[in-house]
Amino acid sequence: MKKSILVISIFTASMLVGCKKFLDVNDNPNLPVTVSEKLLLGPVEAGASTYIANGNAAVLVNQWMQYCVPNQPMPNTANYLVTTSTFDDYWGSFYTVEMNNLHVLNLQALSNGNSMYAGIAKVLMAYTLGNATDFWGDLPYTESFEGTGISTPKFDSQESIYNSIQLMLDSAITALNEGKGSKPGTDDYMYSGDMSKWVKMAYTLKARYYMHLTKAPGHTAAAQASLALTALESGMSSNDDDCYFPYAGSGTSSSPWYLHFFSTTTLVLASHYVDSLVSRADPRLPYLVSKANESGLYTGNVIGSGAGNIDFFSVPGSFYGDIASNGYVLNAAEADFMKAEATYIVSGYAAAQPIYRKAVTNNMLKLGIDTSSTAAQNYLSKRGTLTAANALQLIIEEKNIANNFSTENWVDWRRTGYPAISLIANDNITSLPRRFLYPNSEISTNGSNVPSVKLTDKVWWDGQ
Amino acid sequence: MKRFSYYLSAMLAGLLFSALTFAQSRVIEGTVTDENKSPLAFVTVNIKGTNKGTVTDKNGVFSLEVKPSATLVVRAVGFLTKEVGVGTGSTLQIVLSESASDLNEVVVTALGVKKEKRNLTFSSQEVKSEEILRSREPNIVNTLAGKVSGVQVTNSSGMPGSSSRIVVRGITSLNGENQALIVMDGVPVNNDETDNPKDGGSGSNRLSDIDPNVIESINVLKGAAATALYGSAGARGVVLITTRKGGTNRKPSVTLSSGLSFEQSYLPDRQTSYAQGEHGIYFDGLTTATQNKNSWGPRMDTLRVNGEKVAFHNQAKEFFKTGVSTNNTIATEGGNASSSYYLSYTYFNQQGTIPNTDYTRHNLFAKYTTQILSNLSATFQLTYSSVKNNIMPQGWGLENPLWTIFAAPVSYNLKPYLNADGTQRMYRSGRNNPYWVLDNILNTTVVNRYLPVATFVYSPTNWLSFTERMGADMYQDQLHYHINVGDVTYTNGAVLSMNQTLRQFNHDFIVQLRKDFSTKLNTSLLLGNNVYSKYNDAMSATGLGLAKPGYYNMASASSVTYSESSALIRKVGFYAQGEIDYNRTLILNLSGRYDGSSVLSSSNRYYPYGSAAAAFIFSEVLSDKLKKTINFGKVRASYAIVGNDNVGAYTTNTPFYQAIIYGDVSSNLNFPYNGQNGFLISTALGNAQLKNELQKELEFGLEMKFLDNRLGFEASWFDRKMSDGLVQGIALANSTGFSSTTINSARMQTKGLEVLVNATPVRTKNFSWDVTMSYTKMNNKVTEIGAGLNQTSLGNTWAIVGQPWGVLKGTKFARTADGQLRINASGLPYSDDGSNILGNVTPKWMGSITNQFRFKQFGLSFYFDTKQGGQLQNADDGYNLFYGVSKVTENRQDRVVKGISDATDQQNTVSVTGQQYYQQISGITEAVIQDASYIKLRNVSFSYSLGQKTLSHLPFKNASIILTGRNLWIHKSSNFSGPDPEANSWGNSNSSLGLYSFTTPTSRSFDATLKITF
Repeated sequence: MKKSILVISIFTASMLVGCKKFLDVNDNPNLPVTVSEKLLLGPVEAGASTYIANGNAAVLVNQWMQYCVPNQPMPNTANYLVTTSTFDDYWGSFYTVEMNNLHVLNLQALSNGNSMYAGIAKVLMAYTLGNATDFWGDLPYTESFEGTGISTPKFDSQESIYNSIQLMLDSAITALNEGKGSKPGTDDYMYSGDMSKWVKMAYTLKARYYMHLTKAPGHTAAAQASLALTALESGMSSNDDDCYFPYAGSGTSSSPWYLHFFSTTTLVLASHYVDSLVSRADPRLPYLVSKANESGLYTGNVIGSGAGNIDFFSVPGSFYGDIASNGYVLNAAEADFMKAEATYIVSGYAAAQPIYRKAVTNNMLKLGIDTSSTAAQNYLSKRGTLTAANALQLIIEEKNIANNFSTENWVDWRRTGYPAISLIANDNITSLPRRFLYPNSEISTNGSNVPSVKLTDKVWWDGQ
Repeated sequence: MKRFSYYLSAMLAGLLFSALTFAQSRVIEGTVTDENKSPLAFVTVNIKGTNKGTVTDKNGVFSLEVKPSATLVVRAVGFLTKEVGVGTGSTLQIVLSESASDLNEVVVTALGVKKEKRNLTFSSQEVKSEEILRSREPNIVNTLAGKVSGVQVTNSSGMPGSSSRIVVRGITSLNGENQALIVMDGVPVNNDETDNPKDGGSGSNRLSDIDPNVIESINVLKGAAATALYGSAGARGVVLITTRKGGTNRKPSVTLSSGLSFEQSYLPDRQTSYAQGEHGIYFDGLTTATQNKNSWGPRMDTLRVNGEKVAFHNQAKEFFKTGVSTNNTIATEGGNASSSYYLSYTYFNQQGTIPNTDYTRHNLFAKYTTQILSNLSATFQLTYSSVKNNIMPQGWGLENPLWTIFAAPVSYNLKPYLNADGTQRMYRSGRNNPYWVLDNILNTTVVNRYLPVATFVYSPTNWLSFTERMGADMYQDQLHYHINVGDVTYTNGAVLSMNQTLRQFNHDFIVQLRKDFSTKLNTSLLLGNNVYSKYNDAMSATGLGLAKPGYYNMASASSVTYSESSALIRKVGFYAQGEIDYNRTLILNLSGRYDGSSVLSSSNRYYPYGSAAAAFIFSEVLSDKLKKTINFGKVRASYAIVGNDNVGAYTTNTPFYQAIIYGDVSSNLNFPYNGQNGFLISTALGNAQLKNELQKELEFGLEMKFLDNRLGFEASWFDRKMSDGLVQGIALANSTGFSSTTINSARMQTKGLEVLVNATPVRTKNFSWDVTMSYTKMNNKVTEIGAGLNQTSLGNTWAIVGQPWGVLKGTKFARTADGQLRINASGLPYSDDGSNILGNVTPKWMGSITNQFRFKQFGLSFYFDTKQGGQLQNADDGYNLFYGVSKVTENRQDRVVKGISDATDQQNTVSVTGQQYYQQISGITEAVIQDASYIKLRNVSFSYSLGQKTLSHLPFKNASIILTGRNLWIHKSSNFSGPDPEANSWGNSNSSLGLYSFTTPTSRSFDATLKITF
C-alpha cells in the first residue's frame, strides 16, 4: 500500500513541476509578434488605395457626386438612404487597418532610426487623417491608437486636426530628406523608394490641406492660396509624380473600381456623369466610360429612376475600370489644378489661364490622348479659356474629371459649389449631404464622446 | 500548486488511516456473481441487524466472520438486494438478479463512475440505446432532440451531414463555446463544426462521425455540481456516451440490421398565381431586355402569349427529389470467463433531397476487455469513421442553388440551363441558374477519424482501485470545393482545398477508495489527475481561374493563395470527490478541482473550484403504510462554483498577420504581392491579463415515485450566475486602433426549471402504456458586459444588458408616439433610422411528450416535442417580398396603408400598389422577424419482434422489424412563412443563430429496419 502512495506522490509531484512548461504554449507559432518596417509598408500602401482613396467610402461619395449609382430600386444609398451603420466599415478601415498600422510603422521606424519609413508613414497618415476629417469633421486622433490604454478616445476639433496634418507633413519632409536607416525598395509599390517623389507628395498634400481652408472660419482664401502656391513649388509637377498603387490584374490583385462595378454588385455609372462627358464631346469619354453591353451606347442610370436592365448601362472605361487599372491615391493633376485655382484667387483668371490649360492637356496626355487631335483641340477651344465669370467653375469641373472618382471632388463641391449637382428626391433629406454620419460602431463603444450630427451639417472648414 | 499537493496527500493519508478490519469467530468465504456468472465487485455484504460487513473484491469474492445464525444482506448497484442465510458451510455462492425497477437504476456519472440513480445529488437524465436507435437519426445530437429536459437541440438544415447544436441548460458564455462537452467512454470527443462551405451554409458537427448503433446509453449531466469534476469544459453540461461491450461467458452472437428510408422535403409555401414581370406586365426572361428578377407580372391563368398559355413550373417541386438512405450494421459480440469483445461495422448512405448531395459514413468499432491479472483489467477500444459528404452552399450566397429556385418565377422554364453559346441561361442577370449550379459547384469533404481508448483498472484490494485511462481523438478533414468557369461571381472558376487536422489527447489517472464504516455509513473518495491537449491546424489553398472548364486542379489555377494556421491548447487538472452515504437516506457529496489552462495569462493560469451537494431520501423515513403510496422521495440541493477558460488559444497577445487587403466580390489582394511580403497588426487586441471566468450554480431538486412506481417525476430548479465572463472579440471603439479585444467582465444569469414526468397508465402482462413528459423553462439575462459597453455583437444576434442572450436587432417601422405607422408622401410606411430590439432567439419554454405502447410483441411509440417562443430573421422573405414571390404577395391589389401621413398628420389616403408596398417593407427588418415556435411529431415508431415460439423454429435468437416515421408533422406559427423554423442556415455556431436564409428544407422521412440476431 505504501508503495502505491509513494508512486502517486512521485507522480503528482512530477506532474506539478512539469505543469508550468507544459502549459506555456500560448504564443501563436503561426503569427509573428514583431515584423520589420519593410514588411509593414506594402500593406499600408495597398490599403491607402483599396480602403482610403478607392474604397467603399469613395463609392458612396461618388454616388453623392452623381458619378455612379447602384442599379437597385430607390431609395438607396445614392439618394442618401444611409444609417450610422453604413459608416462602420469605412471608419473601421480608416482606424483599425490604415491608421493604426501607419502609427505602428511610424513609431517602429523612429525607434529603429529608419527615417525614410517614418517619413512615408507620416505622409500616408496625413493623407488618411485628412480624408477622414473631410468626411467626418471632428475626429479622435490625439488619444487614438492606444488600445485599451484609452478605450474611449476624445474627439479633437477639425481645426486642431488640420494643424496636426500640416505639422505631420513638415516632419515627414524632414524625415524623408534625412534619408537615414534602411531604404525602401520593392516594398514601396508607390515610388520604389524614390524619396524625392514622396517629398513632392508631402508638399502637394500640404497644398491640398491649405486649399481646403479657403472658406474656413478665421482663414482667408487669399492667404490659403498663397500658402498653397508656396508648397506647390516643391510639389508634384508631372504625371510621373502620380501616387498610385499598381494592381497586377489577376483575381487576387484586381483594381478596386473594376471590382466596385463588377456585375454582381449592380453598381453602374450615373447619367449625370456620363451625359456631361457626352454633351461636351470630351475626348476622354471612351477612356473613362465603357459602352453598355447590350446597346453599345454610353448610357448612365438616371439616379432616382430605380433599377433597370444592367446590361443597358455603362460602367467605367479602361483607364479606371480595367482589372489592372492603377488605384490612384494622389494625382499630379490635382497639383496642377490647385495651382490654377490658387493663382486665380491670388492673381485673377488671366494669370490662371495658362496653368489651367496645361492642367487639362496634361490630363489628356495621362489618358493617352493625342492633344493635337481634332477632338482634343475642339474640346480645348470650347473649354480651354477662362473668363472672370467661369474661371472657378471651369477649373473645378476640369479638376473633377482629372480627379476621376477621387473623394477630393466632394471637398471641392463643398468649397466652391462646383460642379453643380441637384438633390435626388428622397423623403428623408431636404438638402444635399455635406458630411458623413459617425458610425454606429463608435457610437455604441465611445458614445459619450461622439458628437451628434446629421448629414446636412457642415464640417468646420465648410463655413458656418 | 504546492499547497494543493499537500492537501492531496493529507486527504489520502487520512483515508488510509481509517481502514479498519473486523474480526469474529467463524470465517466464511463467498462469491457474488450476476445471472451470467460474471463476478461482481464492490458488492456490499452486511450482517443483518449489525453494523458489520464487507465489500467484494474484483473477483466477486468476500470473506467475513459470522455467527452461524447470521443473515447476510447483499446489495449491489443495479441489482436487487438479496438476503442470504449463512448456514453452516464455509463457502457461499450468491447470485444477484439485475434490478428491473429503475429505483435501483445505475447511471454513469462524471469520469465514468457508476452510481445508483437514487443516490445522485445532482440532475442527470439517461437515454437508452433503444430510444437512440428508434429515432433513426444518423447524427447522435439529433437523437437527443426533445428527449432530455434542459437540453436544446437545433438542427441547422436538411442538407445531408448538416450540423446540429446541443446546449444544456442554456448558454454559459456570451460568445465562447456554449455547446455541451461530449465524453465517450471517459474521453472527450471533439464536436467542433467544420467544413462550412466557403460561400455559405452549415458544416458538420463532428460528433456526427460516430455511429449511433454502438451506443449503449447517453447520460446528460446538467448542473455544475454534476460536472465540476470535468473541469472547465464541463461547465457547459456534459453528454456522456457509453458504448456497447461484449458480455463475459457469452456465446458469440451476430446481429444484422438493415434499414432503408425515404425523405421528402418540406417545401416552402409561395405565391404561384403570378408570372414574371413588373407592375402586371409580363417579362418572359428570354432576352437580356426581358430578364427580370420579379414576379410582379400578370396572373398565370389569364396570361396568353401569342394566344397560348404560358407553361407553369412548380420550381421547387421540379428541383427537389426524394432522398434515400440506407443504414446497414453488422455486429458481433461474445466473451469467455476473462475477456469479452464487441465488434461492429456500419455503412450509412444518404442521398440528399437536392440532386448530387449525399453523405456516406463507414464506422468500425471494436472493444476488447480482458482480465490481465486477477486484480488488473484492461479495455482497449478503437472507433474509426470515414465520412464523405457532398453538399451545396446554402444561405444568401450567389453559389447557392436554392436562392434562385425558391425565388424563380413560375412562368420561366429554368431548363436547359445553357444558351446555345454555352453561357448560362437565366431569368435574371447576375445570378447562377440553379441547375447549372448542380453540375458545376460542389463542396466535398472527407473525414477520417480515429478514437482509440485504453483503460486499465488495478484493484489491489476491495476498497482501493486505480484507473488509468488514455484516449485520443484524431481526424484529418479534407475539403475540396470547386466552382466551374462561367459562375457569376467567379467568372473564371475557382477551387478551394483545405486540410484540417485535429489531435486531441486525454489522460485521467483516478484513485478510488471506498470505506464502509458501518452498514449505515458508507464513504468513498476519488482523487485524480487529468491532462488534456488539443491541437488543430488548417492548411488552405484557394485557386482562382481554372485552366479549362471542369478541370479542378489547384496546381493549374491562374492564381493561388495559401494560408495555414494552428492552435494548441493544454490543460492540467487535479480533482477530488468525497461522498458520504448515511443509511441510504442522507448523501453528502463534496468535490474540488484545481485547473491550469494554457489559454489564460501566465500569471492567472491556475484556478480552484468545487461543489457541495446533499440529498435526503425522505421516503426512507416514511411509515411503511405511506411508503406503499410514496415509493420514493428525494430532495436534493447543491451549490457549485466552476472555473472556466472559455476562450480560444493565443488571445493574450497582439500578433501581426500576413496582409489580406479585402476587395469586393471576394477578390482580395493577398501578400506576398509582386514577390514582396507584407504584414498588418491584428485588429483584435490581445489581453495579457486574462483569467478564468466563474459559473456559480445553486440547484434544488425533488424526485418522487408513487403507486407502485407507476407515476414519477423529477423536478430541478437552478440559478446559475456567470461572472468575470470571458468575451472574446468584444467590440472596441475603432478609434483605439483596434476593433476588438478579449475581456473578463461579463455577467449573466440563467434560472431554470426542468420537469420530467413518467407514468404507466396501463401495465398488464400483454399490454403496457408508458408516457414520458418533459418540460423546460429558462430565464436568461445578460447582466453586464463590461468595458463600458451595454451591448456586443454575437454575429447575427446581440448580447444586450438587461435582455436575454441572442437579441435580434434591426430597423423598425417608423411609428407615431401612439404606435401608428408613419406614412410618407408616396403613401408607404418606412423604417426608422435606428437599430432596435426586434426579437430574441432564445425560446420561452420547451417540452415533449412520448407515448409508448407494447402489446405482446408489438410496440408503438410516438413523440411530440415543442419549442415555444423565440424569433428568427427570415431573410427569404426579405428577398421574396421584394420579388413578389412570398405567399402574402398573392394578395397584391392596390391599398391604402393604414397610418398617419407625414404630409398631412391625418390618416393616410394615398393609395399604393401591392408591388410598391411589399417592395418597401421588404427592406425593413421588423417585417421579416418571425416566430420560431413549433410543435413537431418528431418520431413515430412501430415495431414487431418475433416471439420465442416462432424463433425456436428459426435459426435466429432474435428478429424484429421497425417502421419509423420522422418529422411527420410540423406545426409552426402562421407568422413564419417557411416550412420549418428549426434551422440555422449558417450552421451551429453562436454567431449563426436566428438567421433563416435559403436553407435546404428539412424532410419528412419513412424508415423500415430489419434486425436479426444469430
